[in-house]
Amino acid sequence: MVHHRDLRRIDAYLFEIPPSFRPDMRVPARFYADDTLIQGVLGDRSLEQLVNTATLPGVVQHVLAMPDMHQGYGFPIGGVVATAPPDGVISPGGVGYDINCGVRLLAGHLNFEEIRPHLDDVASALYANCPSGVGKGGAVRLTAGELDQVMEKGAHWAVGRGFGVATDLEHTEETGCLAGADPDQVSARARDRGRDQVGTLGAGNHFIEVDVVDQVTDEAVARRIGLFTGQVAVQIHCGSRGLGHQVCTDYVSRFQKTTRKYGIELPDRELVCAPLDSSEGRDYLAAMKAAANYAFANRQVLAHHVRRSFEQVLAGKLKRPELFQIYDIAHNMAKMETHTVGGRTVEVCVHRKGATRAFGPGSEALPAAYRDIGQPVLVPGSMGTCSWVLVGTETSMSQAFGSTCHGAGRTMSRSQAKRSVQGPTLRRELEAGGIRVRAGSMAGLAEEAPAAYKDVDRVVNVVDGAGLARRVARLTPLAVIKG
Amino acid sequence: MRFEEVEHTADRALRIRGRDLADLFANAAAGLNSLMLASDSSDAASVAKRIELEAADAEDLLVAWLSELAFWAETESLIFSRFHFMELTPVRLRAVITGGHVEALQKHVKAVTFHNLAIRHEPEGLVVTVVFDV
Repeated sequence: MVHHRDLRRIDAYLFEIPPSFRPDMRVPARFYADDTLIQGVLGDRSLEQLVNTATLPGVVQHVLAMPDMHQGYGFPIGGVVATAPPDGVISPGGVGYDINCGVRLLAGHLNFEEIRPHLDDVASALYANCPSGVGKGGAVRLTAGELDQVMEKGAHWAVGRGFGVATDLEHTEETGCLAGADPDQVSARARDRGRDQVGTLGAGNHFIEVDVVDQVTDEAVARRIGLFTGQVAVQIHCGSRGLGHQVCTDYVSRFQKTTRKYGIELPDRELVCAPLDSSEGRDYLAAMKAAANYAFANRQVLAHHVRRSFEQVLAGKLKRPELFQIYDIAHNMAKMETHTVGGRTVEVCVHRKGATRAFGPGSEALPAAYRDIGQPVLVPGSMGTCSWVLVGTETSMSQAFGSTCHGAGRTMSRSQAKRSVQGPTLRRELEAGGIRVRAGSMAGLAEEAPAAYKDVDRVVNVVDGAGLARRVARLTPLAVIKG
Repeated sequence: MRFEEVEHTADRALRIRGRDLADLFANAAAGLNSLMLASDSSDAASVAKRIELEAADAEDLLVAWLSELAFWAETESLIFSRFHFMELTPVRLRAVITGGHVEALQKHVKAVTFHNLAIRHEPEGLVVTVVFDV
């Protein structure tokens, strides 16, 4: 257990656990918080989990956790860990089971007043057109060959099939396709789980949300990325579904032996890993990329269903019901990236587990339209509360391997949330606040109650204050669709 | 108590007990079912499957066992509640499992994790805490 006395405060928002805290730590463990958030951080096991990641072979500079951090399994949620060859490893648990879980933001030309009379119909159309719920399959059933294409081409496959337009790809991290994906490294069981789930939302904390931009904090940047006050927008939060879950399950199991083979000692079996420069490490990275591409395709098809729903309800009633894409980002991923470590430019494997890439201005990884302003960062709040759009910064590049937070972060367990909040009551409260709710499970709704999460405004205030990302606009919910 | 829930901020965790390995594995399966279903629908016995698993050690085998059951639940809404172990050692499991289809799962278990996973021997038998990604 980590106590307050074990921490060194570096500045207003940055704390450090020095390597002297535990003999197996190879680098310091740093995390971002304020005086309120730190109380929650010290209340669960997230810091112990962060310290555990500092023991990974080849870890460089420092391991980090974002202010939305909370206890996970293996890595803490909110963790950012970079490793470098020749000793560096890749850890499937450092990506998590929902490989390339992420967020897509669409926006339109409509404003709140225009859509208000139609919101109930829009919410119902979204619920009907976007399959959701436990293990739910979708309308797109793939042949074995098509599934390979999805894993190789990601969102490009979806756009090729008519689910979206080319500009969607420009406005997606890695254009919605990680190079080097190898479907042959994905098991038959993972394929079985993924066969009919492209274009499905799933359950848990995944959602589609219709929002209105209620606050713009940086007019110039907001205008550049296409946002204005009063505008209607849509967030899609989901990942690689059963296929990604199985890829992680397969490799965490396989790496139990691999870790022994390479003589790697770890404090937790969920941290199992393989050297980046090993056949096992390369196999996992290729399989992870295949699952990540599946997730990009999944969000692309869901975006198509969202657009179709808007058209269905609003065509002929309102002018310009179409939606364009602001950005799509991953928050569970491991990627080889170039960063400056100790004054040297090095290639590192950045694990982001519940953390978002937040590249600053000038990065060649950004689309031309955003290159001079920094990468849009999408930070959804808890259900019924606000979400934020930010942009990445140079500080994020120099301090945090180009990373920032990914959401509000839980503070209350799911069972505790269900004990303190009744699903139907919560639904009534949300609807009384003007938020339409379409949900398959009342128990699932209760688990995601806003009270179970940190205050997203506070979390965003920390990343903005620490310089990891800069606030651009705030979204407030109008309708929530959940499995 | 065969299993009980342990608080976990983001996911679900169960502390599971058993007299021996077979009892522990059966109780772990019952615990998994309790996470996925609103009520115990273990009366259904229309489907039987033969399962064979191999693993590096008992913890690895437990994850493989529960992952197998979670797979059938997700892909075919199949819940198994009767388990006949023909062979169960720390590295090998052969069993016939019996269960039935359910209309809907209440909770999706994405995966069974190895987080701090260790089967401990206590005077009353075996005990293990398993964290499930949900």
